[in-house]
Amino acid sequence: MERHGAQRHRVLALLKEAGGVSVASVQRIARETGVPEADVWGAGRFYELLSHPDVERRVCQGLTCQLFGAATLEGTKVSCLGQCDRAPVVLGRDLGVVHYGMPRGGVSPADPDLPMDLGGPDTADYAGLARARELGVAGVLDALAAAGLQGRGGAGFPAHLKWRSVSEQAVTERYVVCNADEGEPGTFKDREIMLRRPHRMLEGLAIAAETIGAAAIFIYIRGEFPEEKASLQRALAEADAHLGHLDWRFVDGHGAYICGEETALIESIEGRRGMPRLKPPYPTVQGLWGKPTLMNNVETLACIPDILVRGGERFAALGRTEPGTKLYCVSGHVGRPGVYELPLGVCLDEVVDAAGGYVGTPRAFSPGGASSGFLPMSARRVPLDFKGLPAHGSMLGSAGVVVLDDTVDMAQAALWQAVFFEDESCGQCAPCRLGTQLVRQSIGRYLGTGDPAHFAHLDEIAWEMDQGSICGLGMVAALPLQMARRHFPQDFGPRPPGATMTGGGPA
Amino acid sequence: MSDTFPLVIDGQTVQARQGETVLQAADRAGIQIPTFCNDPRLTPSGACRMCLVEVQGQRRLQPSCAWKAEPGQVVTTASERIEKHRAVLLSMYLADHSQDEAGQAADIATGNKLRAYTVDRDDLLPLAPVHSPRVGRADDNPYIAFDPDRCILCARCTRYCDEVEGVSAIQLVERGGHTTIGTAGMVGLLATSCELCGGCIATCPTGALFEKKADPAPDPDETIVRSTCNFCGVGCQVDLRVRDGRIAAVEAPPPGTTVNDGNLCVKGRFAYDFVHHDERLRSPLIRQADGSFRQATWPEALERVASGLKKIRDRDGGDALGFISSSRCTGEENYLMQKLARAAFGTNNCHQCAAT
Amino acid sequence: MTNSIPEIRDADFLFVIGSNTTEAHPIIAMEMKRAVYRGATLVVADPRAIWLTEVADLHLQLHPGTDVWLLNAMAHVIIEEDLVDHAFIEAHVEGFDAVAAAVADYTPEQAEQVTGIPADHIRRVARQYATTERAGIYYTLGITEHTHGTDNVYALANLVLMTGHLGKPSAGMNPLRGQNNVQGANDAGASPVFYPGYQRVTDDDARQRFEAAWGVPLSPFPGTTLPAMMEGVKHGTVKGLYVMGEDILLSEPNCRDLEEAMNRLEFMVVQDIFFNETCRFADVVLPAACFAEKDGVFTNSDRRVQRVRKAVEPPGDARADWEILCDVARGVGYPMPHYAHPREVYAEMAALCDKFAGIRHERIDQDPRGLQWPCPTADHPGTPTLHVDGPMRGKALMTPVTYRPSAELPDVEYPLILSTGRTLYHYNCATQTRRERHAPLTQPENFLQIHPWDARRLGVAHGDRIEVRSRRGAVRARAQVTKDVRKGCVWMPLHFAEARANLLTNEAGDAVTGTAEYKVCAVAVARVDQDGDEAVAAR
Repeated sequence: MERHGAQRHRVLALLKEAGGVSVASVQRIARETGVPEADVWGAGRFYELLSHPDVERRVCQGLTCQLFGAATLEGTKVSCLGQCDRAPVVLGRDLGVVHYGMPRGGVSPADPDLPMDLGGPDTADYAGLARARELGVAGVLDALAAAGLQGRGGAGFPAHLKWRSVSEQAVTERYVVCNADEGEPGTFKDREIMLRRPHRMLEGLAIAAETIGAAAIFIYIRGEFPEEKASLQRALAEADAHLGHLDWRFVDGHGAYICGEETALIESIEGRRGMPRLKPPYPTVQGLWGKPTLMNNVETLACIPDILVRGGERFAALGRTEPGTKLYCVSGHVGRPGVYELPLGVCLDEVVDAAGGYVGTPRAFSPGGASSGFLPMSARRVPLDFKGLPAHGSMLGSAGVVVLDDTVDMAQAALWQAVFFEDESCGQCAPCRLGTQLVRQSIGRYLGTGDPAHFAHLDEIAWEMDQGSICGLGMVAALPLQMARRHFPQDFGPRPPGATMTGGGPA
Repeated sequence: MSDTFPLVIDGQTVQARQGETVLQAADRAGIQIPTFCNDPRLTPSGACRMCLVEVQGQRRLQPSCAWKAEPGQVVTTASERIEKHRAVLLSMYLADHSQDEAGQAADIATGNKLRAYTVDRDDLLPLAPVHSPRVGRADDNPYIAFDPDRCILCARCTRYCDEVEGVSAIQLVERGGHTTIGTAGMVGLLATSCELCGGCIATCPTGALFEKKADPAPDPDETIVRSTCNFCGVGCQVDLRVRDGRIAAVEAPPPGTTVNDGNLCVKGRFAYDFVHHDERLRSPLIRQADGSFRQATWPEALERVASGLKKIRDRDGGDALGFISSSRCTGEENYLMQKLARAAFGTNNCHQCAAT
Repeated sequence: MTNSIPEIRDADFLFVIGSNTTEAHPIIAMEMKRAVYRGATLVVADPRAIWLTEVADLHLQLHPGTDVWLLNAMAHVIIEEDLVDHAFIEAHVEGFDAVAAAVADYTPEQAEQVTGIPADHIRRVARQYATTERAGIYYTLGITEHTHGTDNVYALANLVLMTGHLGKPSAGMNPLRGQNNVQGANDAGASPVFYPGYQRVTDDDARQRFEAAWGVPLSPFPGTTLPAMMEGVKHGTVKGLYVMGEDILLSEPNCRDLEEAMNRLEFMVVQDIFFNETCRFADVVLPAACFAEKDGVFTNSDRRVQRVRKAVEPPGDARADWEILCDVARGVGYPMPHYAHPREVYAEMAALCDKFAGIRHERIDQDPRGLQWPCPTADHPGTPTLHVDGPMRGKALMTPVTYRPSAELPDVEYPLILSTGRTLYHYNCATQTRRERHAPLTQPENFLQIHPWDARRLGVAHGDRIEVRSRRGAVRARAQVTKDVRKGCVWMPLHFAEARANLLTNEAGDAVTGTAEYKVCAVAVARVDQDGDEAVAAR
């Protein structure tokens, strides 16, 4: 007889297999796994793709898609689908793109000097893995330290510290997890890595697993990325000679942005609702099934092979204000949206230059996804890096740069972001669950009535969301509104009921 | 294992025990930290955010219910930052909570901590109501009711149902503003694994879960009498809530204080209607010559009992009588029954139904 | 219980046998589940797939009445593999060799034939039990309500003693009492052989002690047990009964015979809170107060003496049992003291019993956890775990037992084995729980659990009205077709007055305690038509 709950991690995959949450599927899966019915139901109903499996058309409501008319498209509204370079985008029943506004975006031209080199050929010589074996654990950690690689998922935490922490734990059963649950509005860089350079990422994972002595490698991949998953699986099969000795596990996401948060992601692998855990303890100490767990973002891992082959110092020197190159995702009112590998610390003007220049008159930009809020064009020459942007009340985050021209009503833009956070709040803690609702309600009521009194107490609510939330989602969810109000006050004054403003004046 | 160690809470040196949380150490030192989601029987979840404190060296506020006390730690539970946090958080909870005419959180007999924490504060923000899009759940079970508009989603009920009762009939369902307490398929509790123990009601801090049978309105004249449950042999302690000379509800004493650790079962908590049932015997009955019973006074009945028993004793001896005592009665009554048999009738023919 | 309820959650191995803990003792089941979630191993031995088996590591679904085979086979394995605690046996136990000889033939393979439990499961459980320090045994009426109930208990005790699981935390031998004050009633001397505090009526010193205290000479002869008393009623040797707080017609086995005998009683007093079935044969019915209307103490399964406190007034003229008993005693000429409060009664008893000498209401009132006896002095803290310094009475005696079949086994005419028991929502004769105005929603009527295989053979479908017949009577019920019961076995709750399971059960009693065999009797089951509903119990 199985231990109580030992089959819990299968619950979400079985629900997907069964075509989503239904009374019948839940009863059957509860019987099969020994997990209580209510737990199976509660877990399944947390995830968009499991609770609403039969949607014909999913219309992306991400900021960029909204800029390009998503509101006029028919279908079920869903959170950002990570296809901002093709905005506006609609997915069909099988989660393939069935409608898009422009062709697939560009990437940096092939350049073998670039560590990730998205435009180059996806070589599979696994020289980095070989080099890692020569260097040994200490050598790998030293190389990472020399590279100064900061986590590319958004927090920018030094990668070598994470790796070192896991490798120093007394518990020897350890796991490596790849966070491929990309979902920050405006962000689609991991997607491009998985499609264009899957070997890079897999090699990075193999190096991580061998360095920390992982029992298994989990790739938690966004549910709306079936093509990306297939690409990785293809690459894994190709590189069997290099990777076959490791225990690889693919785990599907099921439509919950919060699962990009590392502890929520762990809960999700374990078959539960994706609700973030309290930290500490950090996953490096107690992660998946309570074991030390190294979790890195796709891009972070994709940087590893180059660091080992050509040295950490060389990688560090590629950066401008901070070490290395960075994938900047550019979308919105620019000439050639796409993913561009640039020295870390370039400014907006340089990023947009790589992306074909501004279209129209730029008025605002979001430097790193919804969580980074909005900045005015006066910040166009501020280095887009991890340490500098916080001084401007923003952050680099996932480097999903969205440019907004002067036709955009910033109150409307703030509402789009607010709706995203409200939809994606896990609901666990009140500051976030209630704060995101209050923020969205206030903007909606303001837009409906034109009365700025609806923003009363928003400063206190935003403060509490930042202070009181369990995880990063709640902490930043009021930022888009707060920064828009700060930098574009003219869009938040009294206005005729139902009116739209553009460029600071009535449309 | 006697290890205690000092830490400083609000400038006061407090002795904490190994493994204790800051909340527990503070509580024993008489420093009250407000909390909704903490229940000593459950793994801390830190979800309600009410107990956040400042821990020296930590940039962020930390939940004292989950934060382990450490030697030399310096903790602040009252500061401008914490007061502001509490005021705004409580304002947000209140905006999502059903309110009475005075705009206060509903007052309910079993207690509403949100009301207790907010009723005397003058620093709350008058926020617009939050209309969380929760779906309701029809439930025809006889005992347990749920009002989602009084629920703050601290998840004590679901964690209790899982961790203590081991039943997991209820769980958090949906997410974000839609999140509520539900069952598989959102069916009534009778159609689930629920054992109707009512522990979810007892642990609910805001009265969102409440007894269908009991009047939810508070009564200042209510008295509480501690007693022992009269069903099985566990000996659960019960607090009988008495109103107008009747049992209005049965509750478990606080966790950690009695053998039942704050828990009761469906019988102990809900099966008290028999006490005030119409069919209770109200007066002695004496059989008449025609075989029917008539009501009698106590002196009459006692006289009849005495003469009936005496007649047999005096004629056939005490061993012609049998005295059947009861494991349902008190120890003193069993003592008196056997004393009656032995001392007054000279027989050891005294037994009771359950020898196990 | 040798150990305490709060210790259960810290056990590492729990062997639950003959106890439907989740339904009969929900709060103890919660403690067991807690232990399981902590990582403890739970083994449930029961003929039915009771709820607790859902969290168990192993369910030993034994054939009803074959407990001795299972337990002796476990002992066999423990001895064969030398997992016995030699030091403990050396220091504290007598009779090990006799037990070793007795179980020599009880091989797991043979046991598999009789019990239906795979031999390797028996081996596994025996090994785990013997080698886990915090290993407790928990049982209840599924062990005792057999003609060989005492044998079952000895067989369990042998396991406890040979492995030294006594006097240790979260271990021991733990009968879970079915009713609130079974322990307290026994403690208080509601027994034909014991005065209060388990002092034998045949012990001259004890008798003199009570004679001195009560001021009258006392009988040196053991009295009759309840089953023997009922026999006495049938044979006319018992002419009068004083029944307090029991519905003996419902709770005693084979009640049809008893009902006829009741008519021959010369005089009967029934004292209860409701007009129960037995009242129909009474000469006088006295209205009593219920637990919420009086003061006193209950003693629970782990010997914990706790207070009952008066919360409300009794209805009408009803009075507390203790007051009535005192009046009756005085009425027949015995000078029962005029106690002002039950605390004075308790003090009188405690002064006569070393085990409770330190217990008083006033002390219990100070401690919400109550006091666990033995508690010999006023400053003694009570005793959560018994036998910590070795068995209380010097050396513990192991008693070899051999398997005896149940008194009534299935045959062609009555091919199924019926067991009876409790459900979560009801209690005993349900005089209280069925007056709960909502109970009908949860379990409105009597039912019989039957295996699909048997149901198909008998042409019975789930929800059909059926009649269950035994050699003693017949009752109607609703069929509940479920694999929770074994093939060839059926199960019925005992709570329903209009369909009394005890019309069916066998009054054959245990050789020592007289406890009736409620757990095994032979029955036949047949479907009945709707219009046959009137003729209940006509055979």
